[in-house]
Amino acid sequence: MKKFLKQFALGLFVFIILNTLIAVTYEYPTYKSVKNKTNRNYLKWEALHQNENTFDLIIIGTSRAYASFNPMLIDSVLNTNSYNMSTSAQDIAETYYSLEEIFDYQKPKYIVLDLFLQASDASYDYYQTFSNASFFNSDKRKFNLIYNGYGTTGILNYSIPIVKFKNYIKQDMVGLFSNNKSLRKEDTWFKGYLYDTLTVSKAQISNFEPISNFENTTFNKNRFDSYMKKIMSLVKDNNSQLICVRAPYPPSRFKLNDNDDENTYFQSYMKKVNIPFYDLNSIKNYKYQDQDFADYHHPNYKGAKKATQQLIEILKKS
Amino acid sequence: MLFNSFEFFIFLPIVFILYWFVFGKKLKYQNFLIVIASYIFYGWWDWRFLSLIIFSSFIDYGIGVLLSKENRQVKRKLLLWTSICINIGFLGFFKYYNFFIESFAASFSFFGSDISTSTLNIILPVGISFYTFQTLSYTIDVYNKRLKPTKDIVAFLAFVSFFPQLVAGPIERATNLLPQFYKKRQFDYANAVDGMRQVIWGLFKKVVIADNCAKYANIIFNNSDDYSGSTLLLGAFLFAFQIYGDFSGYSDIAIGISRFFGFNLKQNFAFPYFSRDIAEFWRRWHISLSTWFRDYIYIPLGGSRGSLNKKIRNVFIIFLVSGFWHGANWTFIIWGGLNALYFLPLLLTNKNRVNTDIVAEDKLLPNFREILQMTSTFFITLLAWVFFRADSVTHATDYLQSMFTVSLFSKPAIMPFTVLFLVIVFITIEWLGRHGQYALERIDRINKPLRWSIYIVLIMLMFLFTGEEQAFIYFQF
Repeated sequence: MKKFLKQFALGLFVFIILNTLIAVTYEYPTYKSVKNKTNRNYLKWEALHQNENTFDLIIIGTSRAYASFNPMLIDSVLNTNSYNMSTSAQDIAETYYSLEEIFDYQKPKYIVLDLFLQASDASYDYYQTFSNASFFNSDKRKFNLIYNGYGTTGILNYSIPIVKFKNYIKQDMVGLFSNNKSLRKEDTWFKGYLYDTLTVSKAQISNFEPISNFENTTFNKNRFDSYMKKIMSLVKDNNSQLICVRAPYPPSRFKLNDNDDENTYFQSYMKKVNIPFYDLNSIKNYKYQDQDFADYHHPNYKGAKKATQQLIEILKKS
Repeated sequence: MLFNSFEFFIFLPIVFILYWFVFGKKLKYQNFLIVIASYIFYGWWDWRFLSLIIFSSFIDYGIGVLLSKENRQVKRKLLLWTSICINIGFLGFFKYYNFFIESFAASFSFFGSDISTSTLNIILPVGISFYTFQTLSYTIDVYNKRLKPTKDIVAFLAFVSFFPQLVAGPIERATNLLPQFYKKRQFDYANAVDGMRQVIWGLFKKVVIADNCAKYANIIFNNSDDYSGSTLLLGAFLFAFQIYGDFSGYSDIAIGISRFFGFNLKQNFAFPYFSRDIAEFWRRWHISLSTWFRDYIYIPLGGSRGSLNKKIRNVFIIFLVSGFWHGANWTFIIWGGLNALYFLPLLLTNKNRVNTDIVAEDKLLPNFREILQMTSTFFITLLAWVFFRADSVTHATDYLQSMFTVSLFSKPAIMPFTVLFLVIVFITIEWLGRHGQYALERIDRINKPLRWSIYIVLIMLMFLFTGEEQAFIYFQF
């Protein structure tokens, strides 16, 4: 028995050492970027925490939202002070806890929430979530997000670096064998909005897949419903108005499949709960082209200009 | 509680420590701990269904005791049938009630008269098909005097509910597992290390192979109308590896964990995808269920003896029952029927026991003939898997019709390179380890640094490729 336990302990020790190495490798750039004040999540939360009660419009959602809505443009037309608090791969639970943190420091009149089926599905990017949550000032909120949002799996993913960084390790492993090493220019951010000058290539367009629907995603209706109710109640309690939108997609993707569960579901859900919802893809005055996008679902600066103008019109109506 | 869950990660070490360090000196206490741990393990899903296991266990224990006292054949038979009726009755009610009601109504409407029926909202107790067969094997073996009935109720409760194999097998025979509860168990280093290795391999199969194949197989099967023949073929291929990785992975974990506690369970999968014909496949796939059907249904019916009609009847019975055991759906019955059709020519030409050895034994690679045989056997099982996976018979036939079109030769719309690469690595490891009970069994022949490196890579891959937590497919059966 002693020998067996010894071997087991040795295995565990090797596992811990390897995880420590992974943590150092992947956490160090974040640590460095925070120290140099270049980390985008850090900068977003810093802006929010440092400028108490100054923003009257907050945009929240996934990377699709931070690539779509330019607060500078909104402010220039509506004379507001807005900020885009969207973060990469933001999950619906993360949105709720981010809003809790936001309301502790700001009193926005409007919350614009970009809806996306995959933000409420069963596969999470824990690293992105935990990276975003690490800048919450409230430790209790961090714990609530990890435990209430993702249960024991959340704790496991939070505490084991190989699981936490798995998507990045896999990307790096594939990168070792790939010739297509994309050299992305330094990102430019304005009030939380990503000004992206890339344009989707023809090769990328030919590999487009249909828009997310119930068949090709693991959208969890119960989870969405539960967090949406919490979000609605939180926004209401803070005397703010919630407006939901769906950011644009390249038109070629719509042609691949007639099934648009995402729009149909969100339209009917929001109608039921009496929250305004606007699908930016179906507002006729604004025709999107594939060239308005940086990839399969992120608008570039041209697409963002159209999307922001649409949002301005929506806000004018509200 | 799932083997690949956080809860089990906490549960197992606690039971292990209590078993060896606290109750290690008394066999009775160890057995009692197994019963309690097993009930907690099972009750984690739904504690209400614990009553079913406990009731079944007490009924069969009692019938065993009565059988030992009874010499009159009529009364013995009555006792046996009481056990069969109660156990199959529970199984029938929970698993097949709605199926029979719906099929009954459908057959009436087919002949033009509609009858009103009402189905019940019945939840299927996890693992009922497995523990029912396990406890039935005890009563039948006692009735046939192949086994002495036990008077140790704790050992019997532990035998029926033994947590590593309670919910998805292997279905252990009382003749193999029950006597192990009577003997004092000593911690055996080599056995525990081997068990650990088998657990690692089982988890790798489940987490890396099955769950990652499942992701794409689900997309393709759920959208089969939209995809080309080549994509549908890929979907069936991925499902074949999903179900193999999932089920054999579970069996490996169950067998490995049992070894930590000093138990030896029977091998449940013996590299079935390297089979050279369908008869060999069925000797290598879900062995505990196949042998159960063989010993308790096929042989009592006459097996392969008797007239041609009888042979054909027996083959169809065993395969159709096997299909029906998997679930109350016509898709499973057709899956069983298809396998019977594949098997029959071999039986009728007396070629069903040609390939009983290990393929390409003592050779690194198979010859051309063996490759052809393995590929064709895999392909026909793959076609049958389409019925197993499909939501309905129409879905399966549509799937196969769309698969066998010109588009079969087009480029698949989905090409999960990483998953396919992992499947290739998996097949390679299985091929190299096909002489053992499981692929890594003989890994101790290589030097320690390399062996440890392999373990580390496998464990790291498990953590890297862990997707959303997926329940084991066979839990639904």
